[in-house]
Amino acid sequence: MELLFNITIFPGMLYFLAWTVLLFWFFRKFMAALHKRVGPHFNGPAGSYQTLFDFTKLLTKESVTPSGVNPYLFSLMPILAALIAMLPSAFIPWTPSTTVVPTEYGVLALVVLIGIEPFLLFLSGFGSDNKYSFLGGIRILTQMISSETAFFLAALSPALLFGTLNLQTITESASWLSFVVLIPAFVLYFIALLALLEQPPFNIPDAEQEIVYGFYTEYSGTNYFLLKFAEFAEFMAVYAGATVLFLGGYKGLLVDGYLCFFLKMLLMAMVMMAIRAATPRVTMKQMIRLFWQYLVPLSLLNIAWIMLAKIYLLGGMA
Amino acid sequence: MIKIFDFFAHAKSESLWIAHFCTGCCSLEMAAAMGPRYDWERYGYLPTPTPRQADILIITGLVTKKMLPALLRTYAQMPQPKYVLALGACSFDGGPYNDSLAVIKNPTEILPADVFVAGCPPRPEAIVEGLEQIKYKMKHSIPSAASQGGVWKEMKF
Amino acid sequence: MQTIQALFQDFSTLYIQEYKPTWLKVKLQNATDIVEVAKALQSNGLTVISTVSPTDFVEDNRIEMNYFFEDILTKRNCWVKVDIPREIEQCVIDSITPIFKGALWHEREAYSMFGVRFTNHPDLRPIIVSQDFYGKTPYRRDFDWAAHEADTLGNIQAIYEDFEQEQAQNETLLDSNSSQMILNWGPTHPASGPIRLKVHCDGEDILGIDPDIGFVWRALEHLVTKKDFVGAIVAVERLCFMDNINSMVGYCQAVEEIANVEISEFAKWMRVLLGEVSRISSHMMGMGNFYNSLGLHTAFMWNVDVREYFLDFLESYSGARIATAAIEPGGVRYTLEEGMLETLQKAIEKFDATKEEIRAIFVKNPTMKSRATTKGILSAQAIEEYSLCGIVARASGVKTDIRLDEPYAAYDQVQMDYVTQQGGSAADRLKMLFDEIEQSVAIVRQAKAHIVANIANGNFNPTKDHMVKVPKKLPKGEAISRVEWARGEVLMHLVTDEKATNPYRLKMKAPSFNHTMILGELLKGESLSDIPLIFGSLYICQGDLDR
Repeated sequence: MELLFNITIFPGMLYFLAWTVLLFWFFRKFMAALHKRVGPHFNGPAGSYQTLFDFTKLLTKESVTPSGVNPYLFSLMPILAALIAMLPSAFIPWTPSTTVVPTEYGVLALVVLIGIEPFLLFLSGFGSDNKYSFLGGIRILTQMISSETAFFLAALSPALLFGTLNLQTITESASWLSFVVLIPAFVLYFIALLALLEQPPFNIPDAEQEIVYGFYTEYSGTNYFLLKFAEFAEFMAVYAGATVLFLGGYKGLLVDGYLCFFLKMLLMAMVMMAIRAATPRVTMKQMIRLFWQYLVPLSLLNIAWIMLAKIYLLGGMA
Repeated sequence: MIKIFDFFAHAKSESLWIAHFCTGCCSLEMAAAMGPRYDWERYGYLPTPTPRQADILIITGLVTKKMLPALLRTYAQMPQPKYVLALGACSFDGGPYNDSLAVIKNPTEILPADVFVAGCPPRPEAIVEGLEQIKYKMKHSIPSAASQGGVWKEMKF
Repeated sequence: MQTIQALFQDFSTLYIQEYKPTWLKVKLQNATDIVEVAKALQSNGLTVISTVSPTDFVEDNRIEMNYFFEDILTKRNCWVKVDIPREIEQCVIDSITPIFKGALWHEREAYSMFGVRFTNHPDLRPIIVSQDFYGKTPYRRDFDWAAHEADTLGNIQAIYEDFEQEQAQNETLLDSNSSQMILNWGPTHPASGPIRLKVHCDGEDILGIDPDIGFVWRALEHLVTKKDFVGAIVAVERLCFMDNINSMVGYCQAVEEIANVEISEFAKWMRVLLGEVSRISSHMMGMGNFYNSLGLHTAFMWNVDVREYFLDFLESYSGARIATAAIEPGGVRYTLEEGMLETLQKAIEKFDATKEEIRAIFVKNPTMKSRATTKGILSAQAIEEYSLCGIVARASGVKTDIRLDEPYAAYDQVQMDYVTQQGGSAADRLKMLFDEIEQSVAIVRQAKAHIVANIANGNFNPTKDHMVKVPKKLPKGEAISRVEWARGEVLMHLVTDEKATNPYRLKMKAPSFNHTMILGELLKGESLSDIPLIFGSLYICQGDLDR
């Protein structure tokens, strides 16, 4: 019974749906404010029904399958992408008592499941039989290879610091001192996160002005909804990962609980949007140079810093 | 059950995504309609990069002979249900280019439009009003004009 | 000027006239001399060809070729005319493209519109016209448009089949095992607008680009011949809506020159005022489009926000936000009434309030600089070679600005200077846009102050002075007029017949034509990500590209 509740409501399907609808609305509203506009306004209070309508429309609209594509690959990939993107939430300690799959290897599970996602998106672009989709797929693969080294190294540094891969233990042993020690790792994680989520300035795989819409180009209706849903679920997984690993998860200043967790995720979403509103896109070559020339060496240095800090600052804390 | 279908129709009508395609000068006023002062996102309109996700095709003014196949192809790529909005005098009868024979005088006979917006170019408020009219058509499930007829069905594109 | 005049001693000429302060008008006797003349002019510093414009005289059975050679600083210019026979077989002249690369597309245009064949032209394919006009001569006076248009749908199908054929050919041309492909960048593309770039690329690297233009070809130059002199401004202003006032100014000046009418001082100042407002609104869109092409929409939104206030002024003056039709032969169309200048003052205040923000966030943006300072670099030499003008030329440090070189309207009384940048890269062109907006606002301030002061002391009468009468029928003649448009030099070459009620021929040389021509050169060897960047930075408007 509890498992059913976990799968369907929290932290499962319904939770993700609500998150997608709300976050998409929040993005549009926040972006509009930075654009000196109003954003969705007339549908519901402050336009909050707008994205609900958008997604309902996508679900009830025709889904075009172009001739010449493999229909199974074409329609399977969005479903797989959506499912895989939701899986990490099973390992996250949302509240002190809610972890669907409590395991000793939580960090590894999180990192691997996040790392699989771009490959599925590549296959969806590859299966679209469109030059622009294919280019988008190739770009997402390149970006994945470049960004994930830094991402993994940054994500593993808390595990190194606390000497455990268990997310619950990491959350519990987080303190103000460990937060300060982990700031460089958090910054690296955040930059890699932008690349992993294809957000500006690394929105290279779906660069509208260059390759139309990348791997999204041929998708419509329900399939497009699933891909969009996967994208937002992926946001959640990555934000939740950062919250647990670096920001102390559900721990709050006054009270612990899910609300603190949510506010921390929202804060990251806002920073991401602000970057989106002020930074133009970089090129593929610049992205590769940034990651391999600067971020990967820096994340290795960061590992050394974590070890030193662990020995000298935290006194070999277990 | 009927309530649910009503909700679907309502959702469809309230969320109009617009194919990013410009055929002529009226796209300049479309850009203004996107801008801060007229901000059409208030009503839920959103330009999409690819026609695959769009609900509305806007004929932004004149259509030349060279442009028409591209316009029809874009229309064909959009998923059902889809509607067409014709902006400006040019898309009605050629407008100021009525004498110019490189411009098609009656593009909407080839691809029938559901709503015409007058002006050269129409003001942003008028564009938003035109889109609101399409909302009305969608809400009441009135079939689009292009699905009812038009020369485009007999053409190769 | 004397040295140029001396050049023509070696050639047989029908006449040599001095025309306007900076022009020399020469009619050659033999069409075979044109290449030698071009060589001589080039070695004397007239390194830019503005345009090649044929005029069709049916009754005299001749086609008159007009070549407009300019000094890069446009202080000494030469207008060379020569007659060639009109019969399609003998309608041949030597190409000057081997000497002036800038003539490449202009000669192709003359070929597709008038059927003039250019020998030794490297790439004489039709341009602008749609496929159904291939091999025909649409701009000749005796071309039977009605007969051609009888089968519009058939023509469209022919265009489509041609496209299909081309796509099929692309597939067979390329090795299927290689990673090469041909992308159609446009016209259904979020950043392209109505233009198609055939991008031949190997993965992300560009091997070559061939622009396919003519998607908004409205045959404006033909359209004006069907309208009277006032009605023609409707077509002229639709050259490009982003900056329509200045194109109307260019046309009206040519009409006034033929009619021999001097417009009032007040109208001249109004032309300056309106022209600069129009330039500001165009540049703001240009800046926004530049950033849109980099995937950042904030700049566009903020600029559109300010631009609305300038459009408010145009609206209060003429009643229309964009299609103002505010300039007419003989002056400006509307009287200046109270309250109009206050709207302008509001716009200027709005600009002042936001300009530092825009400068800090968008002009000095480090990410933009890291991308754009190394891309799309045009040296001053390349500017000369390809006859570029306007923003693009000034971003490479070339001091060319027709407002200063050959002042028109009231620009001789305006305090202004050349705005230039040295780098010639895409980032420099963006900086130019912002600097020119500032310059234009300064000019607007001057013009406004001048108009207000002169109205106060009674020199200007804003309700009477705005128009002088221009006769409905014009004498036979021809005139050229050049204006500094938002994108660069616009040259209007107007020819009228005896007791003319409508233009006999109007050639509009618009800057985007040359700027699109160099896309292929600039993008070769770059990557796909640079197409929108360089395309956006060249500030191309498809309206004046196709006309």
